[in-house]
Parts: sequence; C-alpha cells; structure tokens
Amino acid sequence: MRNFKYIWVFGLLITLAIIAIPLIIFLPGDVESNAQDPWDFVPVREPATNHVPLMPGPYETGTQVTQRCLECHAETAFEVMDTVHWTWKGDPVQVTGRPEPVEIGKRNVLNNFCIGIQSNWEGCTSCHAGYGWDSADFDFSDETRIDCLVCHDGTGSYVKGDSGYPLEGVDLAYVAQNVSAPNRETCGGCHFDGGGGNAVKHGDLDQHLINPSENTDIHMGGQDFLCTDCHRSQDHVISGRSITVSLNTEEGQVACRDCHSEDSHDDERLNTHTDSVACQTCHVPVGAVKDPTKMYWDWSTAGQDRPEDPHEYLKIKGSFVYEQDFVPEYYWYNGIQDRYLIGDTFDPSEPLIMNPLEGSINDPKARIMPFKVHRATQPYDTVHNYLLQPKTVGEGGFWTDFDWDQALRLGSQVVALDYSGEYGFAETWMYWPLTHMIAPGSDALQCNACHAEEGRLDWAALGYPGDPIEWGGRFATGRQP
Amino acid sequence: MKIRDLIRGHFTLTTLLITAALLAAGATFTVLNADASGASSLNTQASPLHPLFPLLDEDGQNVLDSGGAVSTMQTCGACHDAEFIQDHSYHSSQGIQDLTDPGDLPGSRAWDTSPGLFGRWSPIAYRYLTPIGDEIMDLGTPGWIMTYGPRHVGGGPAAYAPDGTPLDELEIVPGDPQTHIIDPDTGEMIAWDWQESGVVEMNCFLCHTTAPDNEARLDSLHTGDFRWANTATLLGSGIVSQVGDSYQWNPEAFDDLGNVKKEALTVQDPDNNNCAACHGLVHDDLSEPLTISGCDPASLRTVTTGQIISPQRLSDTGMNLYNKELLDRPWDVHADRLLSCTDCHYSLNNPVYAQESEESRPDHLLFDPRRLDLGEYLYQPLHQFARGQSAHNTVAPQLRDTMRRCDSCHSIEATHNWLPYKERHVEAISCETCHIPEMYSNALMQYDWTVITAESTGVNACRGIEGDPNSPGALITGFEPVLLPKENIDDETQLAPFNLVSTFYWVHGDPSRPVRLQDLESVFLADGAYKADIVIALDTDGDGQLSKAELILDSQTKVDLVTGKLEALGLDQVRIQGEIQPYSINHTVANGEWALSDCESCHSADSRITRTFQIATHLPGGVEPQFVGDSNTMPAGEFSRAKDGSLHFKADTGVQGLYVLGLDAVRWIDLLGGFVFLGVLMGVSVHGGMRVYNAARSKPEEYQLERVYMYGVYERLWHWLQTITIVGLLFTGLIIHKPDVFGLFSFRYVVLVHNILAAILVINAALALFYHLASGEIRQFVPRPYGFFDQAITQAKYYLGGIFKGEAHPFEKTPEKKLNPLQQITYFSILNVLLPLQVITGALMWGAQQWPGIANSLGGLPFLAPFHSLIAWLFAAFIVLHVYLTTTGHKPLTAIKAMVDGWDEVEKHSNSYDEEEA
Repeated sequence: MRNFKYIWVFGLLITLAIIAIPLIIFLPGDVESNAQDPWDFVPVREPATNHVPLMPGPYETGTQVTQRCLECHAETAFEVMDTVHWTWKGDPVQVTGRPEPVEIGKRNVLNNFCIGIQSNWEGCTSCHAGYGWDSADFDFSDETRIDCLVCHDGTGSYVKGDSGYPLEGVDLAYVAQNVSAPNRETCGGCHFDGGGGNAVKHGDLDQHLINPSENTDIHMGGQDFLCTDCHRSQDHVISGRSITVSLNTEEGQVACRDCHSEDSHDDERLNTHTDSVACQTCHVPVGAVKDPTKMYWDWSTAGQDRPEDPHEYLKIKGSFVYEQDFVPEYYWYNGIQDRYLIGDTFDPSEPLIMNPLEGSINDPKARIMPFKVHRATQPYDTVHNYLLQPKTVGEGGFWTDFDWDQALRLGSQVVALDYSGEYGFAETWMYWPLTHMIAPGSDALQCNACHAEEGRLDWAALGYPGDPIEWGGRFATGRQP
Repeated sequence: MKIRDLIRGHFTLTTLLITAALLAAGATFTVLNADASGASSLNTQASPLHPLFPLLDEDGQNVLDSGGAVSTMQTCGACHDAEFIQDHSYHSSQGIQDLTDPGDLPGSRAWDTSPGLFGRWSPIAYRYLTPIGDEIMDLGTPGWIMTYGPRHVGGGPAAYAPDGTPLDELEIVPGDPQTHIIDPDTGEMIAWDWQESGVVEMNCFLCHTTAPDNEARLDSLHTGDFRWANTATLLGSGIVSQVGDSYQWNPEAFDDLGNVKKEALTVQDPDNNNCAACHGLVHDDLSEPLTISGCDPASLRTVTTGQIISPQRLSDTGMNLYNKELLDRPWDVHADRLLSCTDCHYSLNNPVYAQESEESRPDHLLFDPRRLDLGEYLYQPLHQFARGQSAHNTVAPQLRDTMRRCDSCHSIEATHNWLPYKERHVEAISCETCHIPEMYSNALMQYDWTVITAESTGVNACRGIEGDPNSPGALITGFEPVLLPKENIDDETQLAPFNLVSTFYWVHGDPSRPVRLQDLESVFLADGAYKADIVIALDTDGDGQLSKAELILDSQTKVDLVTGKLEALGLDQVRIQGEIQPYSINHTVANGEWALSDCESCHSADSRITRTFQIATHLPGGVEPQFVGDSNTMPAGEFSRAKDGSLHFKADTGVQGLYVLGLDAVRWIDLLGGFVFLGVLMGVSVHGGMRVYNAARSKPEEYQLERVYMYGVYERLWHWLQTITIVGLLFTGLIIHKPDVFGLFSFRYVVLVHNILAAILVINAALALFYHLASGEIRQFVPRPYGFFDQAITQAKYYLGGIFKGEAHPFEKTPEKKLNPLQQITYFSILNVLLPLQVITGALMWGAQQWPGIANSLGGLPFLAPFHSLIAWLFAAFIVLHVYLTTTGHKPLTAIKAMVDGWDEVEKHSNSYDEEEA
C-alpha cells in the first residue's frame, strides 16, 4: 500500500470528502415550494405530418375527404364513432331517482338557450362532427360521414352549414392538405359560438380566445396553450365534461389539479382556502371578460314585429339581456349535478333549475364555484307541467311561421311527448361554470372581494353562520352540530 | 516533589478552568426566550346590539322637543360613563393635563407647553397656542379649536380650561388667551362669547357612526359654531338637515318614542374610515381606483410619511406611479388581509385584546383569563388606545409601546429559515426595515415658513414626485425611507425606516418663539397680494410675479430684508431656525416577494443603510436644520451640501455602533494587510527569480540523497485539510468583505460556506492538537532555547545568500527534527497565536448571534471584525511565503511531494550543525 504510486489520489479524495460532506449536509437547499412544476404535466404535442402530397384532391364533398382520410387512418373511424363529439350522447349513467340508467347528450336534452335539437337537426348539426345529420335517422354507424376537417382544419377557412355539410366556397382539397392538430380556432369554431353566436352561451368562451392576450386568459394568452393541452385526448376521446349535457362528470373531467398542486400558493393562508373554494372562484374574477354574454332570454316575447338588435331583441328568439364583466354567482358544487330530462314534470310557480348542482357546505368534496346563471322563459305544457321542445328550424318551424302552437305540436311529435294544446312560458335556470378566461395571478381576487361588508359571497345562502374570517372555516372545531 | 507540586497546581488550575467553562456554557444556555402566546382576537364589526336611544341636548331634553344641538355627553352619557370616557382619553385631553411653562418639557422646543396637540407647536400648521400669561397673542382657546379642532375629537381643551373650569364659565379677563381671539381684520384681541358659541363636547359620532359628515363638522368648527359641531357630524344621515345657518331635526328619522331609528343611525366600532378622518388616507373600496394629488399638508398624516392604508393593488390605482404595471402588490398587506386599525390600536381595557404586559405578568402565567366583563367595558371603555413608539408621536407619552408589535402576532421561526443569523438580524433591525423597503407614494420633504405664499401658507417640497405635485400628470417615483437607529422603550436600539421632514421658520426673542403668522402676513402681503418690495427682492426672473421657485431666501440680502421688516414690527433677535422631524414609517407593509430578501441590499458598498437621503432642496439663510430633541432617534451620520444648495444626509454605521459585513471595513487594516501581502509576493518573486538565475548559471552540486519517510498519514491529512479549509476561508472571507467585487456569488451561501469551513478547521485543529500533544510531536514545533538565535541566524543567512550559491542546507531534516528554527518560530506563531486568535474572533463574530453578551463585552463586531480581517491578511501573506519556501528542498517540488506521499529526499552532507554538536 505504501508504495502504490497513486495513493495520493486516495488521500485527496478523502480530504475533499471531509470538506464536502459537511457542506452538503449543512448548506440549505433552495427553499422548495411544495408546488410541483406544472409544466411536467402538460402533454407533449405531436409533431405535424405534411399532408400536401397525401391529399391530392380534388374533393367535391366532405365525405370524399373522409374516405381518403380513412384509407390511412382506418382505426380512427371507430375511435371517433365511440366519442360524444360523434354520438352527441353519453354513456348510460345511473341517476338516483330514476329507475333506468339514462344516456343523455346534446342529442336528446333540453336547455334554456335554443332549447333542443330534436326536430331542428339541419340547423343545429352545423356543429356536429359529421355530415348530413338532418333527421332522426342519421346513420351513426356510417364512418364516411365523419367530419375530420372540422377539428383538424389547419387553415381557418373550413366552415360548416346546415346539416353539417361544408359551405359552398370551402376549398376542401386545400383544407385537407393542411390538416393539423386541433387548435383554438377549430375548437372555438363551434364552442365559442354556442347558443347562436359569439360568446352567447358559456360566459367564459368567446372568439377573443383565438388570439387572447395574457390578461384575457393566462394559459391560452400568456402561454399559448391549445385547448388540447388541458382537454387531453387519447384515441379521440377528449377529456372534459360539460355539466349541461353530461351526467357522468366524475370521470374524464378536466381539473386545475391535473397540472397545478393545490398548495401552490406561497402564502399558507391561501393554500387553506383550497379545501372549500374552487380555484376558479379567485382566478376567474369576472365572467365575459371580452364580449358580452347572454344572461337572460325571454322566449315569450318572440314573434313580435319590433326593432331588432342581436343584443336586445330578435323576432325569432325574443328579448335578451347581455352582460359583460359580470360578477359570477357562487354555489357549492362537488362535480356532480342532476339534469332535467324531457318529460320530467316540474312546478311552474318556481323557477326550474335544469341542472341542479350537488354539493353543500357539509360535503367535503364540494367547493364554492363561480357560475354564470342563465335565466330564461321557455315554452312548457301547462296541463302536463313539462317543458316542450319546439320546432324552430325548417318548414312549420317557429322561425318560419311564428306559430308557437304549431311549433310545439310538431316538436312534441318528434320527441314523443303528449302535447295538450295549452302552452305557457316557465322560468328556467341553468348553471354554466366559469373556468376559462383565467386571469393572471396578479389579478386574482383579493381578500376584500369576499370577506368585506359588500363581499361577493352570501354567507348565509352558502350555509355559513357568518364570515369564516371571523367564524372559522366550515370544518372548524365546534362547528358540527 | 517538584513535579507533584506542579501537578497539584495544574490540577487546581485545570479544575477551575473546567468549572468556569461549564458555568459559562450553562449561562449561555439560559438565554432562550419563550414566546408568550397571544389571545385569539375577534374582529368586531358593526354591532347590531345597540339599543334605540333618543338624542338629548345639553339640558337633557330630547332634541325633537327643544330643537337644540345634540349633546353627546347627555345622549351617550345616558348609558355609557361619558365623563369617565372623556377624562380618560388622550384623544380628548391632548396634553391639557401636562401643560408646563414654555420649554420645560425635556427635549422640546423653547416654546412648547405640552407633548400633545394642545401645546406642542407644529411647524407645519404653524399657529402657536399662546400660553396663559403670555403677552403676544397668536391662538387663544377659541382660535385653537378653529385651527386644530378639525383634528381633535372634542372635550378636553375644547370644553374645559386647564384647571377644569368649563370654558363657558370663565370670566373674561383682558389679555387672557382662553377667552379672546384675534380679530382677523384688525389684528387686535377681542373677547369671545363662550355662552353663544358653546363648547365642543367629545364627538362620539365621529368615530362611532358609519358615515359621519366630517366636512360639515369642519365647517362648523371653522366658523366658531362650536356647539353645533357634533350635530353637523350627523348631517349625512338624514336625521338633521341644515337650513341656512340653522339646523332642523327630521322627525321622520325618529320613532314614536322619540328614539332615533336604527336605520338612520348605526352605532359601530370605529372602522378604518372613521380613523381616516384625522389619521391618514384609507381607501377601502377596491373597485374605485385611488387617486391622490399633491403634497398637501391638509392630509397631514399621509403626506408626512407617504403611507396609504388600502388593500388596493398599486397597479389598480389611478395614480401615475413609476413602473405601475409591475406593482401588483397591495398598498398595505394588513389592509389587504382585512385588519382594521383597532386590531392593533385597541382600547387598553378591551377585554378581548388587552393583555397584561410582559414585565408585570408573573412567569408562571402565559395568559390571564380574568378580565373585565363585556358589559362593564361597554360602560367605561378606556379611550386610551394602544400606541407604538413612533418618533413623531409625542402624544400620550405614558402610553408608549402599549401596542402589540409585529412579533405579537407573527413568528419568524417558521418563515425566515432562509435568513442566516436571523436572531441577530431581528435584534439589530426592526421588522419594518425589510418589510417596508419602499414607499410608493410621495411624501413631504420640507416646509418653509421663512416665506409665505399668497394664500398664507408655507412653501412645501415633496420627495418622490417629479413635476408639479398638483398636476395629475406628475410622475410619482416614491422614495426609499432612510434607516436610522431607533431607541426602543426597553433601551434597545434598532434600525428602523423614517421619513425626515425639515421645516424652516422665523423665531424671535429669548427665550425664542416662532414669529406669528399675522406678522409674516403683514411683512409679505398687503390685501392678499405680495408687497412691492418683496416682489422686487424675490423676483429673480423679472416677470413681476413670484412663482414657487422664487419664494426662497437664498441670499443675505433677502434674509436681511425680511429680518429688517420683522424687526420694524417690534420683534427682537429675529433669526431663522430649522428643524428636522423624523416620522416613523410602520404601515404600508409588504410581504412575500415584496419584502427585502436580497442580502446585498445592506451587505454591500451600496448599502441601503448608508444611502444619502435628501433633507432639503435649499437652506433659507444658509441655516442648517437640527434634529428635534424629543424623538427616539438620532442623526447618526453626516450632513452634506450638494452643489445646487440642497442638503443631504448619509448615515454612518460607525457612529451607530454597527459593523455591517460587506459594507464596513477599516481602511488602514485593508491597506496594511494588502501591503504586507503584496510585499511578500514581490519578495518571493525576486528571491525565486534569483535562485532560478543562479541555478541556470552554475552546475548543480551533487549530494548524496537519502529517501526518508518523513510525514505520517495523519500528519499529511491534517496538513492538507487545513490547507483547503484555510484557502476556502480566505476566499469566502474576501467575498464577504467585498461582496460588490465578487457579485457573482450569493452572499448568503458564501456566509454559510465560510461558517462550515470554519467549523471543519476548528475540529481539525483540535484533533491535531490532541495528536501532537499525545504523541509528543509537539516537541518539533518548540524551538530549543539554547542556541536558538545562532541557529536561526545561520538559517536566515542560508536563505539570504547561501541558497543562491547552491550551498547545502545548514540543517539536516530528519523525521525526528523536521523543522528548522525559522520554521519553528513561524509555525508556532501561526498555529498557536494567529490561528487561535482568528478562530476566537471568528467564533465571537458568529457568536454575536448566539451569545451577544460576550461578543459585545469584547467590543462587538466593530472591534472583532477588523481584527479578524487583519489576521486574514497575515494568513494570506503567510501562505504565499510558505508555499514558496517549500520549494527550497532538494528539488523545488521535493517537499511538496513529500507532504503528499510522505517520502522525502534528504541531502546527506557533513556540515549539519547536529553533527557539530554531536
């Protein structure tokens, strides 16, 4: 050992170790915040493939394009046909209070905007991911009717019309050659214009999200997120559940928690809020940040010859109230809600809540969540006390003949509801959660917004005895009965 | 026998030393503070419990019947002990009970008569409360109520004379300021009819109703309508309305029994907006962007500090703030978190908040639950409010520091672990220093009463704003508060942030007193416009108008002109005086990323502690202002004039008794140390150069070599470990000493690395000492006294001459005797003098945190740190010398190689002095 030539290396290492080890032990690492890095959870975007040589064209109809797509993407057909973008109907869900599991979706529910698609298919299915759904007999097993381009249009020039067919002027070959992964413009082509126009329906989605500023939406503006970065897709199954057309909202839902940890605030007091307050409550301080959204729709005034204005009155639709920068309403919500279905009876002297939220102050899974509440008056059968499906589009529809009785009769036939001939207008409410148009952190709500005299939260209505800043939170000691 | 005595002596000595060491250790261990836990606090809001009550006038009749002014003493006094409240409230008494002769208060000005609003002259408000018996009348009691009444809640001096006589029962004695007022037209004293005007009772409505009409109240006070001031406060509520000059009670606001309806008048605990009536700007409404304008002393509390109590984010305000987009923090984090003024400034017998002070509370008790019953409290609530110990608040001196401090609610334990030496920081600087690093609004810098404006006000200048302060386009740049030592009530000194406001004014007479405003007016103005000779003297640009910039007495001629005119009025010894009033800054607190967390903010040459702070834009008459004598801070630094005539202040850490690592350094030590280091470097270069030259010139001598195992494993480990740690310590120490030069490194990490390396070095040294003692190797380091000097000189002569000629070493190196005499004496000094000194000074510097008493008794950081630096320089020089001298072996790298693998090559030769001896 003594004569080993490189013994000095050994000694050097020991000496350095004696110095390094205490340094490593005693030097504090950087203060680790308990937040995970959200970027770790953002899905990887697939690189694009050049389809110019692959889609020679010319294509007369959308179906031709689809057939060409399916030559390579054969399995895609079955994937898509399994999804709700195609079927417009969810999987069967057992709902308490109903004897049979229900399969609901846009195909067969009523809302309090344009009310329902049944009997109105050719007008409503311009947003269907398929071609030619103009009647109840659409063949959902015909894969050539899948519309690939509505989501995969990379040009911004693809527009659909009645029954989902592409409009006359669209150059299908050009679109087909420039397909891309779905972006904000393609998703938004339908989802920003719900309810009949830009920004009408959701309250947190409008065309400004195609190219938003950072102040409009921190993810889509500040970080250039695509819809699919949060609404992750696997085999064309896109995550996310609308609580107005879905009942199985427990699985497949998108959550802030998918990327952000709930303890990601530097301030501990803010972290304790996440047990009772949804992220959106503080981080979506107002609804309809950019374009006004429809807050009230009175169908009963439709049909009159009055001066028209798309934000106030249209003969075909009735009178409306639009609001921008509105303060949301706040309710407990645990992720599940019930749903008014066609044929359900209700008490017309009370507003009918079409998607009653589940959750309460005593439910540990529930959080206080911001909602746009859309209130409307819509036709119902005064004898049977259920809502009616009017035919609005096409021959005999209300938008052609302005005859409610006829429209309701035709619609009732289609949905197989017994129409007594007596109709009235009932007040209905629908809850639309606000979860897009997330403000940058520096614009989040401050304590004063809720915990002040004129705060946003009605503590009594939420079930609190008083302001939790004074009383303690809902799970504070001594608060249980 | 000799040995046994020796051992016994040693034994006793050792025992004593060990005992002493243990005692010292034990003593230091008991320096641990247990934090007292505070009682949980409830945020009390507008009380729904207040019973319905009638409004009574001063005769006890319902105002609906008599139509008279409401008397709060009668109305509220029906259930609450209003007399008690008024008698036990500094808000009300404002020092009337402490009235002294002018100048008798310690530290006060020569003309101050009390520490409160009633008697302490304000150089910004300027009007002077004339003491009783004084011949020159400025403000009598009625005048005081009109001028200072707006910031006074009523009662006390507004209702009673100092001897307790109600003001409306005073006899009119000519010349008595209590019953006279100066007629604004003639300037003569005229009698005041207290019976007609009434007095101002303590105004409960101002603080205890939701929307008091302060504007109407101020109008009432200004016009001398004192009796109706409290009624005027109710004008906004609909209970009473004003018709011309008289007030009409509205029967609709009362129920059938004559009680005020609850909807008309809500009685509540004071909220921030109530306090804001007098105490500064509060802006609760998040939806409305805050705007303020100017530098106007009307909002005195705001403009003297720049504090704004608002939860609104700076970026959401309507003010033209510099870099506003980036300022997404609220003005004040406590306002953001919905604390109200009364959460800290609580009533001192409030059973919810008030706690016994630490001094009087017995050690065995953390919290005493026995307290005043809520009903008893409501009957006799002390309107003495907890206060801190700000520099500018001389009111209620007996209540200093009754307020809970930051550490009553906040703990640094959980949140400041990133801060090295956190206890030392907390001891040396107040929380506000780091948590109020910047004021974003503007604040008053100076107020000059040596000239007056045409509106009879002084000339103001603000800091933190560029452009005309009254224009909304002015850019508000804000300012960094100056850090000065503040003496706390427990005699500890801490650095704290302040704004300094300098004021200049004319005084006359001996004892001095300020020149009255009316005298200034008669000097400067005639009929509301400037007198011709004044215009001629001050108008520098010749346009016939006096702009604000021209209202300066910046030449002797101008000063003489005004002096002469004042003397012509009969005033003697007229001169200009200037004072600097420090204003403590305790609000507009920042948290999280907005608080200072960058070490280099203070620990660098450009430290916040020593930044220059502007005091004044100019010095009228060249007079330098003096710090006021009754604040708890001192100007520990130097004043300097800039070329444009402005006065600046630069704090000096030496004067404050602070030594800030990275900022402070003793110049001569750095110079001496650097000189020695460079000298050694040069010396070895020359020596080495000469050796190289000579070696190249001559043939190397042939010596017989012997391979000897010179250094054992442990010896080498000890040596190299020491090398690396000392080099690391020198390097990190240099960065700590001059962090600006080495900006690349994080100061915080370098300090921690330095401490860790130091610990390794000390353990290494201690173990090595043990080894050397136990093995007897220590003998090698001890020079043999007999023949030492001869051998040393021989060795020295070798190094200075013989080595160039290739002579043999005078001393043969053997494992039993490795060190020549020069080495012995050097290493002995290094290892037994310099190293221990460095370790001790370093440990004490670290110990400034652990055991501050011992560190301070040895001079504290101001002594220890420069000493440590000096020895560090010597160590650096030593290393250069040592490394060089190791090249004097057989070959240059022989000795270094020997220290690595243990095997040395020793020349065997005949002229070793060992042989001589043998």
